[in-house]
Amino acid sequence: MKKRNVMWIWSAGLLLVLGAAAASPIDIKDLIREAVSIPSALGNEEALGAKILSYLPKGAAERDNLGSVYARFGSGGSKIALLAPLDEYGWFVSGMTADGYLRLDRSAQPQPNFDNYLLGHPVVISTQKGLLYGVVSQPAMHLITRERREELRNLSLDLVYVDIGARSGEDARQKGIEFLDPVTLWPELSALANDRWAGLSLGQKSSCALLLGLAEDLGKAKLSQEVALAWMAQSKYPTRSGGARSSLGAIRAKRTIQPKLAIIIDGVPADRGEKSPALGKGPVLILPKEGAAKLKDAVEAVAREAKMTLQYQTGAESALLNGLNGEGTEALMLAIPVKFAQTPSEVVDLKDVLALKTLLLQLLQSGRVK
Amino acid sequence: MRKAAHIILLSALTLNLAVSAPQGAPQVVSPASGWDLLRKIVLVPGLSSQEGKVSDFVQAALPSSLKVQRDAKSNVWFTVGEGKPHILFVAHLDELGFLVDKITPQGTVLLRVRGGLLPQTCEARPFVIHTAKGPVEGVIQPKSDYYLSQTAAASSARAAQPPAQMTSQPLPAPAAAPAPPQKPPQAAAQPAPKPTPAQAKAPAQAPAKPQGQAPAAAAEPVELYLGCSSEQEVRALGVAEGDQVLFKKRLVDLAPDIMATRAVDDRAGCAALLAAALRLDWTKIKTRTVTFAWDVEEETGLNGAQLLAKTLKPDYVFAIDTFVSTDSPLENKRFGYAVLGKGAVLRSIDTSNVTPKTEIRKVAKIAEGRKIPIQIRNSRGGNDGSVFVADGAADIPLSWAGAYAHSFIEKIVKSDLEALTDLIAALVEEWK
Repeated sequence: MKKRNVMWIWSAGLLLVLGAAAASPIDIKDLIREAVSIPSALGNEEALGAKILSYLPKGAAERDNLGSVYARFGSGGSKIALLAPLDEYGWFVSGMTADGYLRLDRSAQPQPNFDNYLLGHPVVISTQKGLLYGVVSQPAMHLITRERREELRNLSLDLVYVDIGARSGEDARQKGIEFLDPVTLWPELSALANDRWAGLSLGQKSSCALLLGLAEDLGKAKLSQEVALAWMAQSKYPTRSGGARSSLGAIRAKRTIQPKLAIIIDGVPADRGEKSPALGKGPVLILPKEGAAKLKDAVEAVAREAKMTLQYQTGAESALLNGLNGEGTEALMLAIPVKFAQTPSEVVDLKDVLALKTLLLQLLQSGRVK
Repeated sequence: MRKAAHIILLSALTLNLAVSAPQGAPQVVSPASGWDLLRKIVLVPGLSSQEGKVSDFVQAALPSSLKVQRDAKSNVWFTVGEGKPHILFVAHLDELGFLVDKITPQGTVLLRVRGGLLPQTCEARPFVIHTAKGPVEGVIQPKSDYYLSQTAAASSARAAQPPAQMTSQPLPAPAAAPAPPQKPPQAAAQPAPKPTPAQAKAPAQAPAKPQGQAPAAAAEPVELYLGCSSEQEVRALGVAEGDQVLFKKRLVDLAPDIMATRAVDDRAGCAALLAAALRLDWTKIKTRTVTFAWDVEEETGLNGAQLLAKTLKPDYVFAIDTFVSTDSPLENKRFGYAVLGKGAVLRSIDTSNVTPKTEIRKVAKIAEGRKIPIQIRNSRGGNDGSVFVADGAADIPLSWAGAYAHSFIEKIVKSDLEALTDLIAALVEEWK
């Protein structure tokens, strides 16, 4: 077959695929899977931000110099913002040894033992040349001493060496390694029973995907108010100004959008005792310490009409809410319950994710949040 | 919205994520390099005592002209030629992991360990149960207080509050579980009063609990979460007591010729032996006897080798297994420093065997004659060849330099595997 004919057939096939794909809605499972596969360590959210931008209508979306992505739909009425974190927890390259191992540091961690998950597992390094894989050294079990075993029980970054198969610092640089390259755990994703998935940063990635799926719906909906969507970079970076711990990404998003109402979408730890939210029991409503009464009433009314169960979490300190609520903005959080939160295998129930997406769409179309 | 763009760009910047278990059924392979064979055979599930699928893989790969035998335990071997000396090469098929011990009323699965892994590296990690109905994915539950600082966790424990998670509640004793279909595993964690070669194979420190230390870490059972909430749901997935539970493997390519994954120990040995078997002209072996064997249950007591030793009486045994190398940043280099990428390793002294220096020199001479790079070192760990020594064999273990032994990231360099394959082939052709 001539080369030109092959190209023509290939192009025709591609057009067919494109046409079919354009007509069908985005599958939120595909979006979650894709979001998990793209590393987005705090301060290095470019790749995931670019992917999100690629889905959004041109002209309605933009990215700021922090890395946050914004999209706007509709006009008139009170401005409401829906926001999800773009960043996940990770580390960055802080040094190299003469024999080619990478040393790590971090700017934030979700829980005191998160570094432990590095030991003896693969990591992904986002370099100027693309994604590079490494493994974090652990002693051979045949040789490990009692003292070393004790040291490793609570792993310090002082004992973390990332093996990228290099034999020297120069070798590592040849592979594309630079100081401050972001490092994340291997983005594993597993399908469990009952529509539950387990994966790295799955609460945050599901929130991103949910908001993107919502963007598709909003693009088709008739809206009587302005709805701003935000995927917040550096949402996990805590600022200390003003006393309470606040999210830098949330503060930036608030100042950029200046919404009257704001709903944060994120994961929340589940199945941690009787007072904790439960996996598979519906979205979790989290209120700030003060305010947001009207928004709460609207959410509850829509949930009642939709016969949807809401869970509640009270008294929790939220840097995201601290960054958004107050000073003219009424904010609350609607969260996805996450089992084993802040581990390499966060578990979400896809039914919770879909329920929250439905709730948000109905809320925006209800006229109750004008 | 541009789903089309999504489809096209899926593979551009992203990692390839499969939401289903990667471990597949055995498949027939054509003659290939040891490296290619390794990348396939390492993914075949084969917990110690459940190696059947790995045995199938080896059998399917061997040419029909070789009369392959298989026993009830799934040891696989063939013998060519006749007369003295009788040379045996043996690699082990089994890997480390867990067995399903009990299914709880809450819908989780209690696991029993088979071999030594560092416990904290298993927490909150994906594992696959290989059931009769197919693979079922789950996550090993983290400790119930995993998100608390050490200080907070200690103070929480002192307060003796009720468990925060369903999964940390006391569970019925595992002894109540029905017997698994295969031989109950040895407790790898139990130290033996008098080490035998078999016991010496088990990582000495892995199972032992440091003396004088609180048993807090061992208080919680190893428990797998599947997304279920009742025993009935778990059983409906096909999960049964005795099923093997393995880490969800993935091949991590550190470079085109460097790989890290679980079960390189000893699938690399299996692959090298297989590659040599496929390369050799067996019609030329007439005045000596050569046996290639792939045996079972090495990790849990050299049981497969002991069964083979009842019928095979070699003069020389070359055990093909990992050299536990200290070529990594957290190891002391006093011994075991075989450098990755510097060739095959002659494992002269380990925990189960001392190879006579005369035999070491013979191997070194053959390697030198063929320009095969080798390193002669000592390390720890035992080998299958040791069980043949009492009956008259000299045990000469051959290896590659393996970093991070008994972890999920066992690391190997391609050229080392090639050197090992070359060495095996050379010994078959020249050993007297």
